[in-house]
Amino acid sequence: MAESSVSLDTTSRNAVELIGICKTFPGGVHANKNITLRIREGEVHGLLGENGAGKTTLMNILYGLLTKDAGRIIIKGEEVELQSPQDAIVRGVGMVHQHFKLIPPLTVAENVVLGLEPILVSTKMESHLGGWSVKSVGVLSQILPVDLSAAEKRIVAIAEENGMNIDPKSKVMDLSVGQQQRVEVIKTLYRAADILILDEPTSVLTPQEVDELFVTLSKFKEQGKTIVLITHKLREPMILCDRISVLRDGELVGTVNREDTSPEQLARMMVGRSVSFTVEKPPKEPGSKVLSVTDLVVYNAQGLVAVKGVSFDVHEGEILGIAGVEGNGQTELVEGIVGLRKPKNGQVLVNGKDLTGKSPRKVRNAGVSHIPEDRHKKGLVLPFTIQENLVLGRHADVPFATGPRRMLLNLQESRRVSKDLVQTYSIKVSDVSSSAQTLSGGNQQKVVVARELAAQPKLLIAAQPTRGLDVGATEFIHQVLVGMRNAGLGVLLVSAELDEIVNLSDRIAVMFGGKIVAIRKPSDTTVEELGLLMAGHEVAGGSDER
Amino acid sequence: MTADESSAEVEVPLTTKPLSSLDLLNAKLYTWSFWKPVMWAVISIVLSLIVSAVIMLLSGYDPLLAYRTLFYGMIIQPDYALYFATPLILTGLSVALAFKCGLFNIGAEGQVYMGSMAAAIVGYAVALPIVIHPLTCLAIGAIAGGLWGFVPGLLKAYRGAHEVVTTMMLSYTAILFTQWLATYPLREPGQVQLTPQLPAILPSAAIPNVVGNYLHWGIALAIVSVFVVAFILNRTVLGYEMRAVGFNRDAAEYAGIDPRRNMALALGLSGALAGLAGAGEILGNYGRFIDHWSPGIGFDGITVAVLGRNHPWGTLLAAIFFGALRSGGTFMNAVAHVPIEMVGVIQGLIVLFVAAPRVNDWLAKSGFGYAIWVKNEPKIAVPNLAALVFGVISSVLALGYCTMKGLGGMFIGLYFLVAIVGAVSFGMTLSKYRRAPFIHVVLCMLWLLTGAVDSLYLGGVSFRTAAVMSIAGFMIAVALFWVRSKMIKEGRCQP
Repeated sequence: MAESSVSLDTTSRNAVELIGICKTFPGGVHANKNITLRIREGEVHGLLGENGAGKTTLMNILYGLLTKDAGRIIIKGEEVELQSPQDAIVRGVGMVHQHFKLIPPLTVAENVVLGLEPILVSTKMESHLGGWSVKSVGVLSQILPVDLSAAEKRIVAIAEENGMNIDPKSKVMDLSVGQQQRVEVIKTLYRAADILILDEPTSVLTPQEVDELFVTLSKFKEQGKTIVLITHKLREPMILCDRISVLRDGELVGTVNREDTSPEQLARMMVGRSVSFTVEKPPKEPGSKVLSVTDLVVYNAQGLVAVKGVSFDVHEGEILGIAGVEGNGQTELVEGIVGLRKPKNGQVLVNGKDLTGKSPRKVRNAGVSHIPEDRHKKGLVLPFTIQENLVLGRHADVPFATGPRRMLLNLQESRRVSKDLVQTYSIKVSDVSSSAQTLSGGNQQKVVVARELAAQPKLLIAAQPTRGLDVGATEFIHQVLVGMRNAGLGVLLVSAELDEIVNLSDRIAVMFGGKIVAIRKPSDTTVEELGLLMAGHEVAGGSDER
Repeated sequence: MTADESSAEVEVPLTTKPLSSLDLLNAKLYTWSFWKPVMWAVISIVLSLIVSAVIMLLSGYDPLLAYRTLFYGMIIQPDYALYFATPLILTGLSVALAFKCGLFNIGAEGQVYMGSMAAAIVGYAVALPIVIHPLTCLAIGAIAGGLWGFVPGLLKAYRGAHEVVTTMMLSYTAILFTQWLATYPLREPGQVQLTPQLPAILPSAAIPNVVGNYLHWGIALAIVSVFVVAFILNRTVLGYEMRAVGFNRDAAEYAGIDPRRNMALALGLSGALAGLAGAGEILGNYGRFIDHWSPGIGFDGITVAVLGRNHPWGTLLAAIFFGALRSGGTFMNAVAHVPIEMVGVIQGLIVLFVAAPRVNDWLAKSGFGYAIWVKNEPKIAVPNLAALVFGVISSVLALGYCTMKGLGGMFIGLYFLVAIVGAVSFGMTLSKYRRAPFIHVVLCMLWLLTGAVDSLYLGGVSFRTAAVMSIAGFMIAVALFWVRSKMIKEGRCQP
């Protein structure tokens, strides 16, 4: 067993030892159950698990953000009781959170030194006073000017050392997400961290930015730093990590060496059963046209043309995948079809009925269901109960509305239907009358999917349906989409994940710069060709399948 | 009873009986999330009473006598309390309903005036049978107030004009418009009073009293309105859509709800409730429209809604509480001679404390360091912040006294010393110096000493100030040292 070989290691070689960590949140969620984890000095250690498996909780305990209920923490051979992140930082532990803790209007340098200003002041004073200690200044340090120029120099030095490129004087709000992440990394390095915890660092990055991050991380490894990489994706630890620990439901399933494992094994450890990466898809003859879009032109919120004359059809029993790098008009295209944005030109026909520029309710009533790309912003009313969310959009229709002119809510009926849906889609909830905020991301998405499919649509528009979801939930959504296609629905799938598009689609349309540049059958194309098309390169000799 | 019968009885409700709303309410009563805001409301009331007591002490009133009479007055005249509560329930509901749709109706006062003017006109100018007449007046009043809310609703929905600005400005328009009506075209003929007013309403239009001289049947109307608003919000499609728009406009739009229509309707309904409040007061209480008759019931509606957490039933309780405070206040004024405005101070402080956590959350979100500290470690941050504020207040007060007295070196010297130590204590606490609590204690002792010396020579306001400051200071010190000992135990602070 891999675990036993790990525990034989002497403690001196371990950067961090977590022994028997337990954590129960108020409300009775056992986030960590007796977890023992040893992280060796100078290794890249992957911490893998589904959403809600307890990865972030465990690392927050190591970083001093949360207090453990039981167990021991040993950092570099010294047993510690961490009361705050400060205690962890002085021992060389740094953490980059999934949601950045930066102040947008401040500059990079100001963000990096945040919390260290008094120290900066004293060092500057000391240099002026010729080595005389200014610790005694105390109160005065609050009102002395902060020496930012020295900090800026050091930030540039740290950045260059690690192959990062950043201007310390630029404001954080002007930076891209990838650059903001760099600022977070520099923040930890500035505090001389040699044990670096990265929480889902790739979830917000573009593929190119991911590659850059990995280059940086391998540089850290060369310098002998210890890195803990929290992730729920299988590809990343297989590229970068030396050893991978898998958590499931708050328990450590095991620690494996990268050489001895495979993505399939890791997925099995994560989910507790084997996971199929490819979806079984029987061949199916597409039926009549469900959706027909002709010359659609849609403007974005800034008043610029985002969709420049797009035409395509979706047939019954077919999944049409729209591939493309995000921001090439996919969002506006979907919004133009479902009525959230009025098209400037063109036509949208659903089952032969003209729905161009009709209100979202009319489009819904015509049999169109829509899984929006941002479930927090559009898909759910988070403070609403699960029951209220499960009838959203159908709340004004029989049987959920009763009484004269369907003005009253039928709470009994919606409760009954909600309970059915929760069971059918195995949504993990304590009660349908608890708020949607209490659900994990995967279960929130299941609520959206359950609701949209319960409307028995003719056409399903799924935008980024698996974004931010773990392996198990992604597999579930994929099966649901293919199941709908097999049942004769037309499915329009918009996704930035090329693998997803290739695996699920019957036809693939590539969108670039607001136009559909090509439509291909998966059998007639390669991932390389699609990648080139997505990047805007003309590919000669391709046969369009309109 | 046999075993078979009992088991059958257990199974039947499990399988067939649908969960009633009463069961849901029962289940809700056992959750912390339900009791937490209630707890905080009670704590806010207690805190505001403590602070008000300090203010009364400093202004030379006896807080103990004041509170005794206040509470006595709140209890002995329930009809008087409900009389004050009647319009507050309706205006509170008005603000709460708009807020559920994500709108802040700050101009309920203007809608109150429009409603009252419309009701007063119908009340004196149209002859109708008894019962029908007041009901017609109320309906017309609600419609007038509703229109006055609907206009900013339309502006918000279709033109994007912010409702805080438009409702506020239309509020002034309404007050001045009704003033003009009462002064010129509709002024009571042959009237000699200085305050412009309309002719009295016909007796058929008056709302009779329930009991006594004050409480009229408008209270029944207000309580029915609570039921109606609760029903609209929780049981109708309209209420569901309004709440959806209030929580998440994008998601509502995505789900086929028209946010514009709902926002306009919500402000219209909100205005109708405020108009109803105004109409009820005219018919049941004033008997005619008098210029500037309202003691600010529209604005008080905002405080009622805040204390009631924008919940219909919470609004009812909050309005009754504020009504009782008003009725107790008049009693307190009569017996303890504390100005009636003190009730306004208590009321304002309650709202301040109720809203404090939300304001703090907002500040913490926008990156304000102390707010983040209070949010993450309230037990440590609050005593420290109190010490910080105490230092500043000490410094300012003492400086004030040492310039004011001009009475020999000893007073000037003592107060000057207090001012300096106060400033030092402030600085030390600000820089989180670990021995700051000791300086704080020195400051408290100096206040005690000053108070003792002062009592020998002068007494009066400065003596009371010193006494209050030393007591408050020592209470903060106890908290500070408790926190300190805790931190030392956890190893976060050197002894």
